[in-house]
Amino acid sequence: MKANIVIIGAGISGAGIAYNLAKKGMEGIVVFEASYLTSGATGRCGAGIRQQWSSKMNCILAKKSVDFFETAQEVLDYPRSIEFKQEGYLIVATTEEEDLQFNENVKLQQSLGIPARKCTKEEALKIVPHLNKDAFISAAFCPTDGHLNPFTTTEAYYLAAKKLGVKFFFNESVTKIIVKDKKIEKVITNKREVITNKVVNAAGGYSKEVGDLAGIDIPVYSENHEILVTEPIENIQGPMVISFSLNIYCQQVPHGSFIMGRSTPNQVKGHNIGSTHEFLDEMAKTAVHILPPLGELRVVRQWGGSYNNSPDRQPIISDTSELPGFYMACGFSGHGFMFAPMTGLLLSEMIMGEITSIDIKELHIDRFKNSRTTTYERNVV
Amino acid sequence: MRIKEHPILTFEEKPKLEFIYDGKKVSGYEGDTIASALHAIGVKTLSHSIHLKRPRGFYCAIGNCASCNMIVDGKPNIRTCVTLLKEGMVVKTQTNKGDLYD
Repeated sequence: MKANIVIIGAGISGAGIAYNLAKKGMEGIVVFEASYLTSGATGRCGAGIRQQWSSKMNCILAKKSVDFFETAQEVLDYPRSIEFKQEGYLIVATTEEEDLQFNENVKLQQSLGIPARKCTKEEALKIVPHLNKDAFISAAFCPTDGHLNPFTTTEAYYLAAKKLGVKFFFNESVTKIIVKDKKIEKVITNKREVITNKVVNAAGGYSKEVGDLAGIDIPVYSENHEILVTEPIENIQGPMVISFSLNIYCQQVPHGSFIMGRSTPNQVKGHNIGSTHEFLDEMAKTAVHILPPLGELRVVRQWGGSYNNSPDRQPIISDTSELPGFYMACGFSGHGFMFAPMTGLLLSEMIMGEITSIDIKELHIDRFKNSRTTTYERNVV
Repeated sequence: MRIKEHPILTFEEKPKLEFIYDGKKVSGYEGDTIASALHAIGVKTLSHSIHLKRPRGFYCAIGNCASCNMIVDGKPNIRTCVTLLKEGMVVKTQTNKGDLYD
């Protein structure tokens, strides 16, 4: 088999990159997925869409991605609903330090056209009346943030890419990337050999291992982040409620369930994506502390998924000088789903040799070389 | 329907408990679950499916399936098949996913 490009991974990043390349007229695009569509981090994510970041690059990626999501249903010509709900993210501050940090964040976000604003406690309680008024001191709110269904959104990209001629192969893992004289020659899977000279690493939690197959050392690691979902009830909460200091994000999805997550302190690195009773215990305590009525709800399921963390918690959307033809979209640090439209656009521009829509020098893998300073993203749960 | 005679088991009559079902005064016996008391007086529809609103009745009987969820004393999504009946309970048919602040 011959391909002009092989994309590894069919989460939202892989499907989005495939769609964007096909739309630009590239033919012979092949996507290999070791399991099924959205089986990795995409299908396990918290389904939030946020523009309130502390780093400029993340703000721009998020803003432009939201612009796309607003039209995605029509542009991708998807017959079902991607369930885009734009009722905001309310980020609560619990310490004075956080309150001051949010002032800085909001200033940066507004300068980039993101409609975020600071809120007093009273304003926040108007937006989410069932917040515990003693659990926070102020908040930041962006009304165009929100929620998207990761399964239908990824399927929308997948179907659109397929319509444009992209070939997807599921349950097929890439086992080798054959490189000769600094050139990619072949990709070998557990089922076939593909002659190609371009490879895109969109393998999410396994992107370091895929980098290793090509001899490219990518400074990322994977870490399990757990989530739970409750039984559905009638709609009571519009925005995602999130706190970095309390370590929680919690949103009611259109179906009526509450999805909530928090990071596990001192989590071990690796590919474990299991569930723990410790998470259930801590998550329930945190949720009931900040949103007391949720204590009435039953938990129906919990699961885990991989954050693929980069050293500065900003994505790596990049080619590499060591191996021309090898591209990567990884290290999203828990936020690959919401950045996917820009990931697809930027990487496809880079692969086609076009000038990228925004300057993405700061997302290049070389930023970690020679101890260059990078901007660390602080707004991560 | 209640089993009154059985070749091996005996059923001693227990105290009667009155409760309200959708505004009507009805009764069951001590030891009944809400669902068993309703079943005994001929109530077969306990809830409705979320999208098509089709009737849902007594199904798993062990608190797993949500088919018997009703509003009990103002609280929605009560699993009536595993909740014991109490004197004076107010039981209502639930027509939506449940309002947390009813």
